[in-house]
Amino acid sequence: MTTADSTTGDRIAADRIAADRIAADRIAADRAASTPPVRDQSAKRRWVGQSIRRVEDPKFLRGRGGYIADRITPGTLHAAVLRSPHPHARITGFDVAAAQAAPGVHAVITGAQAAELCDPMPDFGPDPTKHTWRCLAAEKVRYVGEGVAVVVADSRYLAEDALELIEVGYEPLPPVTDPERALDAGAPLVHEALESNCAYERSFDFGDVDRDFAEADLVITDQLRWHRSGGQPLETVGAIADYDPGTGGFVIETNTLSFTSYLFMVAGALKVPFNRLDMRPAPAGGSFGSKLFANKPAIIAAMCARATGRKVAYIEDRVDNISNCDHHGSDRLYDVELAVMRDGTMRSIKIDTIDDYGAYIQFGVGHHGNALAQVTGPYTIGSVRYRVRAALTNKNQQGAYRGFGSEVNNWMLEQMVDKAARELDLDPAAIRRKNFIRQFPHYIPTGNVYDSGDYDKVLDKALELADYDHWRAEQKRLREQGRYIGIGLISAQERSVFSATEFWFWFDEPAAPVTSTPESVSLKVDATGGITAILYSCAFWGNSPETMVAQFVAEEFDCDPYDVSVVYHGSGDGLPATGPGGSRTTVMLAGAVEGAAGKIKAKARRAAAHLLEIGEDDLEWADGGFGVRGDPERRKTLGEIAIMLHLFKHSFPADMESGLDESQVYDHPWTTMPSADRKDLGVFYPFMGHACHIPVVEVDIETGAVTFLHYAAVHDCGTLVNPRSLAGHIVGGTAQGIGTALYEEFVYDTDGQLLTSSYLDYLIPTAMEVPELAIGHVETPSPYTPHGVKGGGEGGRMMAPAAINTAVNDALAPLGVRLTELPMTPERILTALRAAGKKG
Amino acid sequence: MTAISVTVNGRPHTAQVEPRRLLVDFLREDLGLVGTHIGCEHGVCGTCTVLLDGHSIRSCITLAVQADGAEISTVEGLASGAELHPLQDEFSEKQGLQCGYCTPGMLMRAREILAQNPDPSPAEVREAIASNLCRCTGYQFIIEAVLGAAERMRAGKETAA
Amino acid sequence: MKPPPFDYAAPTTLDEAIGLLAEHADAEARVLAGGQSLIPMMNFRLAKPGYLVDLRRVAGLAGIRREGDTLIIGAMTRMAEVERSPEVAVAAPLLTEAVGLVAHVPVRNSGTVGGSLAHADPAAELPAVALALDAELVAAGPGGTRTIPAGEFFTGSYGTALAPEEILTEVRLPVWPGGHAFIEFSRIHANFAVVAVAALVDTDGDRIRRACVALAGVGPTPVRAHSAERALLGASGDADALREAIRAAAELATADLSPAGDLHASAETRLTLAQVYLRRALELAVSRARNER
Repeated sequence: MTTADSTTGDRIAADRIAADRIAADRIAADRAASTPPVRDQSAKRRWVGQSIRRVEDPKFLRGRGGYIADRITPGTLHAAVLRSPHPHARITGFDVAAAQAAPGVHAVITGAQAAELCDPMPDFGPDPTKHTWRCLAAEKVRYVGEGVAVVVADSRYLAEDALELIEVGYEPLPPVTDPERALDAGAPLVHEALESNCAYERSFDFGDVDRDFAEADLVITDQLRWHRSGGQPLETVGAIADYDPGTGGFVIETNTLSFTSYLFMVAGALKVPFNRLDMRPAPAGGSFGSKLFANKPAIIAAMCARATGRKVAYIEDRVDNISNCDHHGSDRLYDVELAVMRDGTMRSIKIDTIDDYGAYIQFGVGHHGNALAQVTGPYTIGSVRYRVRAALTNKNQQGAYRGFGSEVNNWMLEQMVDKAARELDLDPAAIRRKNFIRQFPHYIPTGNVYDSGDYDKVLDKALELADYDHWRAEQKRLREQGRYIGIGLISAQERSVFSATEFWFWFDEPAAPVTSTPESVSLKVDATGGITAILYSCAFWGNSPETMVAQFVAEEFDCDPYDVSVVYHGSGDGLPATGPGGSRTTVMLAGAVEGAAGKIKAKARRAAAHLLEIGEDDLEWADGGFGVRGDPERRKTLGEIAIMLHLFKHSFPADMESGLDESQVYDHPWTTMPSADRKDLGVFYPFMGHACHIPVVEVDIETGAVTFLHYAAVHDCGTLVNPRSLAGHIVGGTAQGIGTALYEEFVYDTDGQLLTSSYLDYLIPTAMEVPELAIGHVETPSPYTPHGVKGGGEGGRMMAPAAINTAVNDALAPLGVRLTELPMTPERILTALRAAGKKG
Repeated sequence: MTAISVTVNGRPHTAQVEPRRLLVDFLREDLGLVGTHIGCEHGVCGTCTVLLDGHSIRSCITLAVQADGAEISTVEGLASGAELHPLQDEFSEKQGLQCGYCTPGMLMRAREILAQNPDPSPAEVREAIASNLCRCTGYQFIIEAVLGAAERMRAGKETAA
Repeated sequence: MKPPPFDYAAPTTLDEAIGLLAEHADAEARVLAGGQSLIPMMNFRLAKPGYLVDLRRVAGLAGIRREGDTLIIGAMTRMAEVERSPEVAVAAPLLTEAVGLVAHVPVRNSGTVGGSLAHADPAAELPAVALALDAELVAAGPGGTRTIPAGEFFTGSYGTALAPEEILTEVRLPVWPGGHAFIEFSRIHANFAVVAVAALVDTDGDRIRRACVALAGVGPTPVRAHSAERALLGASGDADALREAIRAAAELATADLSPAGDLHASAETRLTLAQVYLRRALELAVSRARNER
């Protein structure tokens, strides 16, 4: 290199450094500007933080829950869907004459006919015109269980009888079931129009990955496999639809009502104007993500209602739900490299993942957005390379399952940390502490922020609760007896409140760069002072939105939470609402209630000032009313103000409207746009919880059975609204995580047949598979939310698979065996033991 | 059609039913007792559990005709008017329910458990409720609720139901 | 998942029931006992009998009685009753232990002994018990009553020697009061067994005088582990010696097996589990036999 070149080189380098600094300064300035104000969270709370009995319970305890199937009125017709027995086939024709003539049948609609009656399903995927998804398959079927026709009859019994009379001509096509083979050139195409089974591929670099890897002492590598499981709530998805030929519109009751602002897509599928569609929520018997925007049953029911002129109910049965729910969980292969220093510092991570999305891709690769929200876990890892390929195969498509793809990342990352600890001969707790983030707010390489946290405190508490030293001693003692005990330890994140940007920051030129995911609450104070809170989505999934709202309202107005009436309105007369998902409900309802309550109090203050003939600034809120500062005897309760506002218009200034009702459409309080070059995805999941799980397991190396000896779980999701409720979610989520880790898998064989189409083969943990959990709470409030709350409903499931995998590996470490595939069935454990020559 | 006579929650009913009609559908649709829920329709999850002559059965794999002459108890018969049964009250107190869908079946099974063993250990309760799946709670608070109810019922506070 | 239509009767006598089965043979008439296996299959529409003969009202088909060295259990006896029966606990504790592993209490409240035997699920517990005990199954048909040894009763996967118009009326179990063990490996508590072992041993001091062992889940029907039984005959010695004899017997028996694999366990894993459970069952049976002396 000549002197001239080096000068140029130096100048280029200097320019680059300067440019980087300018960019960094700008990023820092943008971040400072977009950070919400820090709140004073020190106020004493009366209702928030109390483990009160849930206000929802009385109706459920009496069997009066009002679930969707309970709402079917006499005279309603019933629909049943004919499902494809083939994983991949062209549909050549139908003979429905016998079915149409069968007793009690009102209509038979084939997929081809449905394609005329309805437009394609709402689809947030990369290329909906090419991976077109319909409520019933039209020209070809793409997975076993895909619906090809629907019968409407007087009863479900008669509808199913008629299904058996339908003859369908199929021309089988070779199925593609292996996601890696699906990406090979020449693989059978799930969607010919896509010309590939790769629906999406991109590699992102956040930070300086190459430099961090070059400077590392050691690179830990591994390949991991997470097979698909799913929420499988005990209640399936269902809808009751009524068509009004006068208005050309629909009223649909359903146990899945979310993203009301996006329901124009459902109206579009039904070919009706959006303002002629009213979807009304019924409480859901569980969801865990699988009732998130699950509109296919609603669209099928509505289509049938219009075709028959009658009210029609379509309630999935269990096989419908397992095979055709459109909500299977993540199904990933990982190739990972973790760059570490000898002292345990983790510098960088390269993640290459193939995700088997099944035959459609309704939410795009949003599951990886959930991963990127917390991809580096609780650690100061400085850079990330993330390559994702979405493979299409002949299986039911993915949807949402508690964690929505972030729980998989937690698992992958923690297995890598575990492997690093073993290779560096570091204690699992020590390596984690070496890398914990301790300054907040902390921006991770992807651009998302962690608002607050205290990871040492959570780990300390978990170690204590787990009686860690005792179990290490037990492990040693029992190993000498030939028993294999393992202790798992993981520290991981549980993000809450997603932003709409994670639907589209995958694309440089997104078709719809949406930014709204609001939640709304209306508060009404009636003439007696009674308060009603109105929610606008299917907020009840088993989380406790009514209790939470009642506690928030009680906190605001000093009333009894059991005196608050909580009701749900549908989309037709409702405000925008998104519904549960990404653990957002607590924060979003808190914000909406705070906003509406603030407006109520502002109007009430003005009214009170008028009634008390004093300035508004001389009044203060206390004990359920406004009183004169320094003269508390002069006061008006909310009830006294309300009755005046409702009935005595002339007592107030001309511009004051009667009544005391206010609403708040609460938008995401902290979200920013991604950078154009996508090196910074912006803030999209800022309220970051954290947990540590320490399970103790015994592995029977003769049978591959895994049993729990102990299980400690400590979670930190900010201020707890109802600690007992959150504890319930921790246990329940952990139970599902146990299922994912050891028992549950949707298994398709190489011919594309679904082997786990019922609960005989899809194995859900009973009380005997779930241990008693020792639960600890840590509350590091968010500085940015009302009361400092964060979401936490998904947390248990986001931790347990990772923790249990590390526990099993800890048990088998002396045998040189390490499991990297979930679920860790007896078959997989015995196979690994045999391979290591360690069969019992 | 076949004639059946069943007593449900103490009230006698006669009906003509198709032999194939499942007991759960008879209860829900013919009698309007929608508290008993359908989870799997193949006898695995226990959501549909009711008591037949005091014994728990899975009503999704029982034909209505098989209940002819029997006394059925469902969740609707548990409370005494406004007063909840100790089991129901304990489920609320201990938060032994979240979505509530498995709850009626779980309550009826719990009734049987405590009738057979009024003073069970936590381990015994855990094993006994393994017959009923719950997807929400992870079972821990259900066990606490059943143990709490057992204690109250031993103290003689069971309501007549 | 609603069952397909069928005609139905609930006769009050056995002769009437047999007559109905014969009369409606063309409609694929079947017996309805507890329905715990049949009705789920009908809900899946995998079984579509056109006629069901419900035995719930037929007198004389339920009950437990002992006649000398034989325990006689009526086919319609509910499994819950067997589970609770002090007579069974004394005369055939193997059965008590096995029946407690059949699914869950609610299923056992409705399910019957005869129903389970006649359904002949390859992984079911009661067929293995019947085979281990060399039970006799009594069937009544249009031509009269006959006794079928357990070894001839189970003919294949869900297949028995019963003719379409025959009804199983009772099972006769030789009394075997001690030295028993019924254990099974299932993936989820009380779920169907991947592999199950029914082991019976009779000891005379330190010596094994007789052993009868049957396995379920390793073939289309339950199988007797005759090679293990022969190997154990006369085995004697201290605990270590017996443990070694059992280990060798289990290995021998497994060599005779060729199970099929499925999504829950490959053939190789089933063999592994069979061997492990054979060993564990025999160890438990022997320790119980010796404790009772």
